[in-house]
Amino acid sequence: MALRRQSVVLAVLLAPVTLFLGVFFLLPLLIIALFSFLSPGLYGGVEWTFYHWNYGRIFGWADGVNEIFEPIYLKILIRSLGFAALTVVLTLILCYPVAFWVSRLSERWRLLFLFLITLPFFCSLIVRLYAWLLILKPTGLLNTILLRAGLVSAPLEILYTPTAVVLGMVYVMVPFMFLPLYVSVDTLDRAQVEASQDLGANRVQTFLKVILPQTLPGIAGGSVIVFIPAVGNFVVPDVLGGAKGLMIGNLVEQQFLSARNWPFGSALSMIIMAVVLAVLMLSVSRARRAGGHA
Amino acid sequence: MRNPAGWAALTAFSLVFFAFIYAPLFVIIGYSFNSNPVNMMIWEHFTFDWYTGLLGLSNRATDVSNRAAYVESTDQMLAALRTSLTVAVITTTISTVIGTATAIALARYRFRLRGIYNGFLMLPMMMPDIVLGIGLLIFFVSIGMKLSMLTIIIGHCTFLTSYVFIIVQARIAGLDPALEEASADLGASEWVTLRKVLLPQLAPGILGGALLAFVISMDDLVITYFVSGTGDTTLPVFIFGMIRRGVKPEINAIATLIILASVVIAAFGLWLRSRKAD
Repeated sequence: MALRRQSVVLAVLLAPVTLFLGVFFLLPLLIIALFSFLSPGLYGGVEWTFYHWNYGRIFGWADGVNEIFEPIYLKILIRSLGFAALTVVLTLILCYPVAFWVSRLSERWRLLFLFLITLPFFCSLIVRLYAWLLILKPTGLLNTILLRAGLVSAPLEILYTPTAVVLGMVYVMVPFMFLPLYVSVDTLDRAQVEASQDLGANRVQTFLKVILPQTLPGIAGGSVIVFIPAVGNFVVPDVLGGAKGLMIGNLVEQQFLSARNWPFGSALSMIIMAVVLAVLMLSVSRARRAGGHA
Repeated sequence: MRNPAGWAALTAFSLVFFAFIYAPLFVIIGYSFNSNPVNMMIWEHFTFDWYTGLLGLSNRATDVSNRAAYVESTDQMLAALRTSLTVAVITTTISTVIGTATAIALARYRFRLRGIYNGFLMLPMMMPDIVLGIGLLIFFVSIGMKLSMLTIIIGHCTFLTSYVFIIVQARIAGLDPALEEASADLGASEWVTLRKVLLPQLAPGILGGALLAFVISMDDLVITYFVSGTGDTTLPVFIFGMIRRGVKPEINAIATLIILASVVIAAFGLWLRSRKAD
């Protein structure tokens, strides 16, 4: 009797999430997978026939009759991976020393700076990107300052370039890299660092052999949390990037809202999903391995 | 650090880092008071016109351009703000209930699919929002559901539930199960134990989760962009559209207000957390 009642309570607690995410999360993802193998309808929509040319168009086995292979898609995919990787590296370089610095401050200052780093997370993403639009415009703040100071003779063209896209992504992703890094830097065993120095290791050796291995979980965690939203991003390249800053997310958006080729857009989304799942699986297996050693 | 020069360099680097994070926000705030409507980056003089303009009170409207279009876009923005708040309140409520129920189920019951649920609940947070957005778009269109405020609410709940789940789960992990066992031993039914013993202890976690859900819902751009129809849009989508069409000085004013609101909410969250620690 008691057992049965427990299962009733459990069922009541779990039913909403199961139904909701089953219908509005899992099902839509399955529909994307399905649509990516259907052929596009003449005026938007789909035709219910098996069609693998959506992928052929991207990866190069299109036969020129059903679809044409356009290397630009592969190029944009590689560019997206590159931008996301660059964002990870740059946020890491920026956040690592600062996480170290914050962890060494007195409690009062530490709490203040931790608050300051989480604050942008509460602030609208589109507002923060818009700020960079104001700064980078040809008539924007940066160029106004540079021109007045006589450092440049003509306005720099940064807006609508890949540089602007990576800069914008670094800016919005910084808090995501900082927090996991900070946790691992803060729990660093300082006695080991001192022991390493006392035993005659120089700073580079201490960093490589003692500090780096101990903060590796934070580096890995932060990298995953930054890479995933970066690779499928469409807002940053939309606001700050031009044609050369287009990413795969922009292609997906175009297929759904202007080109109206849903199967092709679905195929592009499947690639984003595949990249994300690969990264997640890699990080989980890495964490398991690391956990096994500890 | 044993080396003072190294520490000074590190401090300088860190302060530049924080300047990098905050300078853009101050740029917006500063220029929201600039009266120059043609090139908003060239300072003319101080004005509140863009703020009063947001409320439809400014006579600047006449010299900006077409007054009718101007007033219309102001109305649209206020409508978008209303939609944002409505959506955020409803989604926060729904996702807090579902997320809390799920967290309790996974923390307090042992069942076969527990591990799968735990992993599965991470997915909506990790899935790039564009994938979820277009998935929902295809889904709604396929089943013939009109894009409206309802579809926006559904879209937000799919990933906010997971955020609430994580926060509440962390809170449960810090609780002493002995209290619930005592309640059960004293003859309270499972529902009574849940309501009178577990939920009150969880309250700060639930409130924290709800706050996070509210903030993320207010800020969501990508999913809303795909599942909002021609009718209702939220504030971030409205601002996105405004930026795409070309920048107007009023954006600075509304952006400044958003920055202010986020500072207030973040401070409230901090206060909530410090109370929890007591």
